[in-house]
Amino acid sequence: MRIELDRPRCEGHGLCEEAAPKLMHLDDDGELVIDVPDVDGAELAAAKAAVRVCPVAALRLAAA
Amino acid sequence: MTAPTESGIDIWDDDVLIDPYPTYAALREQAGVVHLPKNDLHVLTRYDVIRDALGDPETFSSTSIGFNPMVNEALQGTSLASDPPVHTQLRATLSQNLTPRALRGLKVVIDEKADKLVAELSTSSSFEAVDSLARAFPIEIVADLIGFSGHVKDNMLRWGQAAMQVIGPLNQRTQESFPIAGELYGWCSSVTAEDLTPGSIGRGIFDAETRGDIPQGSAGHIIHQYLGAGVDTTIASIGNIIALFGHHPEQFALVRENPELVPAAFAEVLRYWAPVHIWGRKATRDVETDGVTIPAGAQVGILFGAGNRDPRHYENPDVFDVTRNPVDHLSFGYGPHGCAGQGLAKLEAHAIIEALARRVRTLTISDEVREPSNITRSFELLQVEKVVAA
Repeated sequence: MRIELDRPRCEGHGLCEEAAPKLMHLDDDGELVIDVPDVDGAELAAAKAAVRVCPVAALRLAAA
Repeated sequence: MTAPTESGIDIWDDDVLIDPYPTYAALREQAGVVHLPKNDLHVLTRYDVIRDALGDPETFSSTSIGFNPMVNEALQGTSLASDPPVHTQLRATLSQNLTPRALRGLKVVIDEKADKLVAELSTSSSFEAVDSLARAFPIEIVADLIGFSGHVKDNMLRWGQAAMQVIGPLNQRTQESFPIAGELYGWCSSVTAEDLTPGSIGRGIFDAETRGDIPQGSAGHIIHQYLGAGVDTTIASIGNIIALFGHHPEQFALVRENPELVPAAFAEVLRYWAPVHIWGRKATRDVETDGVTIPAGAQVGILFGAGNRDPRHYENPDVFDVTRNPVDHLSFGYGPHGCAGQGLAKLEAHAIIEALARRVRTLTISDEVREPSNITRSFELLQVEKVVAA
């Protein structure tokens, strides 16, 4: 699965980073960077958690 | 097509507004969607139904977030009451000063103000927490942020309360609040940069309008929304923090011993007592939800507090547990209209909880009063006694 970000919708709330710190982070400007866009196995659970907690629904998982 | 089941309750009955949780439980057990003929309303009661609706603005339009036609008319053209794609640009304009990255520089000032206020209160043997803390703190923060002073700052509480109240149905509370909400509307229609403190975010919004970064005439709208949405809700949340720590000293003790629990504690306060009772949407088509059909054009009411206590989603939902960390609670809404000010709300609330945890050992509530209110659910009075300083 691939993590997709709706960039204009992202407001940098950062809950995704807390849920999946190995997969994404906010940079010094507060912009979200997806470090590991393609996920499977154990990483998939973390990616799903990140998608779930985004308060503005800016993240989704799509078929890779 | 299966019609939703009905309930004879009035969701704006005074007793329901004071303590809606027994009603929420009954409606939620009845169905995920319940038709309330008395209110001409379809309410959403279960966690998944609510979250799905909030994530689907094409089906659940924000053109009817209020429960009377006058308020929906007045809110036309605001980000609050519009749908994508128009909403997307309005939202970006509204939220650019409120994103966590924009607010990062404010944390130190907000923490200092919270600590000073709580330090003063914790040395007295008793205090009334609604006026002296729950109201005083967010009014001070928002006034400084947007650049309000003088008579505008003095009016923030009643303007903010009225702006929420008039979102309700055409009951007495709404009718009494319309003239006051009108004062706010009038002031926001005529406010100029010079009315706001130099260096404030409010001034910055006018600068952006002058530069052409945001549409002409939108600055007043944005300031209206900051005041309308950012005051009464935060007041409710801070009052709820104090009351819940008073009612659950063992939970407060956990936060005192483990300050890293502060964000989780605030999320649980929001989940346990939703500051916003109900919010509207309009069904744009016949929509199948939870096995029933909400008819096209129906006014929908989202019961955030009912979803937040849904046992299908949260274990032991009626227990207040600061270790739960319910990051997906519904009190900030969800999706494209998710609360734009949640970053600021968290800064304020975390600052208050941290200051309480640092300065206070226990607080006992000797008297508490809630007044029925159409949209926000907050305390009118919280008398705190026997404050034991840390």
